[in-house]
Amino acid sequence: MGFYSSIEISASGLSAERVAMDVIANNIANVNTTRTPQGGAFKRQLVVFAQKPDSTQATGADTTPSDAAGNGMAGVEAVGIVSDRSPDRLVYDPTNPEADGSGYVHMPNIEVVKEMVDMMAASRAYEANVSAIQEARAMGTAAMNLLKA
Amino acid sequence: MRLAASADGNLTSQGDIRLADLDFGASISMLKNALDGAGLSHEAIANNIANVNTPHFRRTDVTFKEALAATEGTPPDPNQLAMAITNPADIDISGAASPQPYKPSVSVDSTTKMRVDGSNVDIDQEMAELAQNSGYSQTMAQLLQVQFMRLREGIQEHP
Repeated sequence: MGFYSSIEISASGLSAERVAMDVIANNIANVNTTRTPQGGAFKRQLVVFAQKPDSTQATGADTTPSDAAGNGMAGVEAVGIVSDRSPDRLVYDPTNPEADGSGYVHMPNIEVVKEMVDMMAASRAYEANVSAIQEARAMGTAAMNLLKA
Repeated sequence: MRLAASADGNLTSQGDIRLADLDFGASISMLKNALDGAGLSHEAIANNIANVNTPHFRRTDVTFKEALAATEGTPPDPNQLAMAITNPADIDISGAASPQPYKPSVSVDSTTKMRVDGSNVDIDQEMAELAQNSGYSQTMAQLLQVQFMRLREGIQEHP
């Protein structure tokens, strides 16, 4: 309970945002990939965030009112990575060996600008979680200083 | 658990005594409750921030200052004549309230909806609350430190 659980909550935010950053970096790296093991062009990937289920249960009458157990506050987790279902970007280039019968090359459905915006959002959310950890540490330090009184 | 004086004047313990339960004064227990509340509040804010990108997330709100005030109770208004309560159905108009046990409330805010993804977390508001709550907590810790310093001054023997 207390400061450690709130740091854990913020840490779950950090790792979820880091997964989001990995996925975005992978999308940007594969912006021109036309071949994948599944066949066809690379599909843009998206990360799915979900509220982490609270595994701690309030244990009877012994818990103090401020105990976080059973409050449903357990942070966030990246529960999966899904593919964007929007159609491939078609580029007309009949001389390209990857072109289909009508001369179109199927390019990934990735827009770099969109990825950049998503990356910015993930980066800011990461920073917000770092700030929350710093504040928790400052509060913890102030409480520890009580021992010096 | 508190120590209770039995009929023969000896102190008997009701159950086990924990050092944390010894009462060193109202302000210390109040400051402790304030720190507890600020810690819980921080947890809620941290959870809201961690879920800033979660669709359909509803923010959690902790209110503890009202609960903190309720632990004090409200004394009767000295400018008003007290009316005797002779029947359980009588209404007490003095405005007095007996002290309540400390119970901060944790609630999920499902009223507002401000984002297209169905979440109602406003990151700017959460960051402001984070800074405010941290400042509050550190102030309370400082005040508690002063209380302990005074307590120690009282305990120490002076030559």
